[in-house]
Amino acid sequence: MFAQFFGGYLLHKKLVTSEDLTQAFEDKKHTRMRLGVLAINAGLMTADQVEHVNITQQSVDKRFGDLAVELGYVTEEQVDKLLSQQPTEYLLLGQTLVNNGVLSNAQFEQAINDYKTDNELTDSDLEGSKNESLNKLVTEFYHLEEASNARMLTDYVTMMFKNIIRFIDGDFTPLEAIVIREFDAETLIEQRITGTYDAVTCITAEKDVYFEFAKRFAGENFGDITGFENETVGEFLNVVNGLFAVNQSNEGGAELTMTPQQFIQDKKISFEKPAFCIPVVFSFGEVDFIVSTE
Amino acid sequence: MVIQDLKVLICDDSMFARKKMNMTISALGINEVFEAADGEEAVAKYKENKPDVVFMDIIMPRITGIEALKQIIEFDPDAKVVMASSVGTQGHLKEALRAGAADFLQKPISDEDTRAILENAAKGVL
Repeated sequence: MFAQFFGGYLLHKKLVTSEDLTQAFEDKKHTRMRLGVLAINAGLMTADQVEHVNITQQSVDKRFGDLAVELGYVTEEQVDKLLSQQPTEYLLLGQTLVNNGVLSNAQFEQAINDYKTDNELTDSDLEGSKNESLNKLVTEFYHLEEASNARMLTDYVTMMFKNIIRFIDGDFTPLEAIVIREFDAETLIEQRITGTYDAVTCITAEKDVYFEFAKRFAGENFGDITGFENETVGEFLNVVNGLFAVNQSNEGGAELTMTPQQFIQDKKISFEKPAFCIPVVFSFGEVDFIVSTE
Repeated sequence: MVIQDLKVLICDDSMFARKKMNMTISALGINEVFEAADGEEAVAKYKENKPDVVFMDIIMPRITGIEALKQIIEFDPDAKVVMASSVGTQGHLKEALRAGAADFLQKPISDEDTRAILENAAKGVL
């Protein structure tokens, strides 16, 4: 999940475009990590030092690691340690953006350091998928600390993203949320959560994008069945909300249930309380996830 | 009883969820698989077909899965009804077990979960 939010951060900082990210998520599948980016991320080398090694390599037939050791930037042990680490998704994204010429090593260095500082993330946070770290990231990204139901919203949005990665794909970029009171929906599915607290949750997109989202979740070819997309997106929302309800029940003792989903087409819907609309850009288009707590 | 001889009823208002589970069950060689899209239809299909195992969603229109479970158990106290729902909260679990559910599966339901339930049912230990 850190890779997607790192992408969102780069987009927000206008260091990349949405197209750059879509391309990078596609290319990332074949990207191999390079020592330079790993060393920058670990804070062992600066971008200037990496560039120096790269330039020196053009006249000397030596591997990057050997040259970096010779030049005194890193030790052999540090190189061995870096090479033995499993590359994380956000680093693979960073490496791909560097490979594609979207970011220079210096821009990557600045961005990764700012990203960690702004979100108070440590390297160990970024290597794992601890709930606490993910919640912190989500809260910071969406400024949820100012919302009235901050904790619930954070838990919900974190759960939602985990399940998008689990069931749809990881090739998306979250955009900044907008607060809305109404929504002009082309195709929308809604489910209410009721109990200890009440919420309205929706997934909406333009028809063709909505259809593609449904296909991703179905995994099999149900596309020829009428109404397939509503049924499928509805079931995805149901699964996310159900897992959220169980989580809240187990961790906080909240007792929640849900109403059957409602399909809405070409209609303006209103929310009693301000709703968070979270746009998520996939390679096939933008899907909006809406949550409003009442 | 061998697993292929089981009769199974799937109750879920999501057509997607029904089709997905039906595919899993059919792949095990089970031919008699019935579907219901709400609680009322579930009770009617149970009475009509007397399935060996029922997979029952909870949140459904008209009558809920819990209410349908109660009506099925009233009709047949030995019915083997497995709740297959997205909301496995403590409250729902207790309510379902009190009403006579044989087991509870949290969605998303894996093929392995479905198979394990059916194997147990065939052995008579559900």
